Amino acid sequence: MSFWETITGSDLTRDWKGFDARAQALPADYQAAWEQIVTHLFSYGSFTGRNLTPIADAALGLLEEASADGQGVHEVLGDGIAGFSAALAGGAGARNYRDRWREQLNRNVARKLARLGG
Amino acid sequence: MEDLTEMLKGTLEGCVLEIISREETYGYAITRRLNDLGFADVIDGTVYTILLRLERNGLVQVTKRPSEVGPPRKFYALNDAGRTELATFWAKWQYVSSRIGKLKEGGA
Amino acid sequence: MGIQDMIEGKKQWRGHVARVKALPPDYRIVYDEIQRYLFKVGPVDLVDGDLLPGLVGFFEEGAAAGRGVLEVTGADVAAFVDELIKDSPTYADID
Repeated sequence: MSFWETITGSDLTRDWKGFDARAQALPADYQAAWEQIVTHLFSYGSFTGRNLTPIADAALGLLEEASADGQGVHEVLGDGIAGFSAALAGGAGARNYRDRWREQLNRNVARKLARLGG
Repeated sequence: MEDLTEMLKGTLEGCVLEIISREETYGYAITRRLNDLGFADVIDGTVYTILLRLERNGLVQVTKRPSEVGPPRKFYALNDAGRTELATFWAKWQYVSSRIGKLKEGGA
Repeated sequence: MGIQDMIEGKKQWRGHVARVKALPPDYRIVYDEIQRYLFKVGPVDLVDGDLLPGLVGFFEEGAAAGRGVLEVTGADVAAFVDELIKDSPTYADID
């Protein structure tokens, strides 16, 4: 039984098998990003395979077009795949994390700008 | 003068409205105008968030115009609602400053 | 689920990505970090309004004026961003 069958139920496997096939046609870095996106999406409890399908389809389509354009995957998603997935899933971010994220933002900016200058 | 940030909160929006009311202008020019006025601590980002709010609240008319040095700039002009808002701001300012002046002179 | 529209409007999104790429390195760093933060916080404006394209426009003007990125946002980038989305509820607020 494939990963998709386990998580989606067999009536949805056709869709997910299609995604699987499409993903395999992508370059390796894109495939890795895709797998991470899917994992993150499923970490949002409110999602079942069914309402996830159109979102996954759209995300995969974005990856396909970008890769066809010859863009690197990081140029499309940045390195924030978790954040990208959260936004895809409807910004499921919890308020509790907000302060931590604010600090993270300022810390990352300071660190990366320092690296740029040096 | 520096360290005015807290005190300026709430009045900067009125200042920006006043600057826009004189002539159509753009974000970075507004910051410079405020800096030249003596508000050295005012930064572009603050003015940008104020302009965004004015736009969202329907107080300004926004026009994109080409610039010689870069991308098109967003120019801001007051509309009728903005002029009403500006008049309200000055009325409030007049009230607050006269009350505070009285307090300082010990007459309140 | 508005963000879907943004992703489905792939052309617009890719055009947006291209504009970000054209920014000077310091602006790009700050833009990327801000975007990551916004994706996490999930303000409704992120998808309904033109928060991100507006921000890029603001950065483009700052870069063209020869200013450094922290000169225009202030050193506390998070404070700048929170001020930007102050009037926009987040998905966490709606739930």
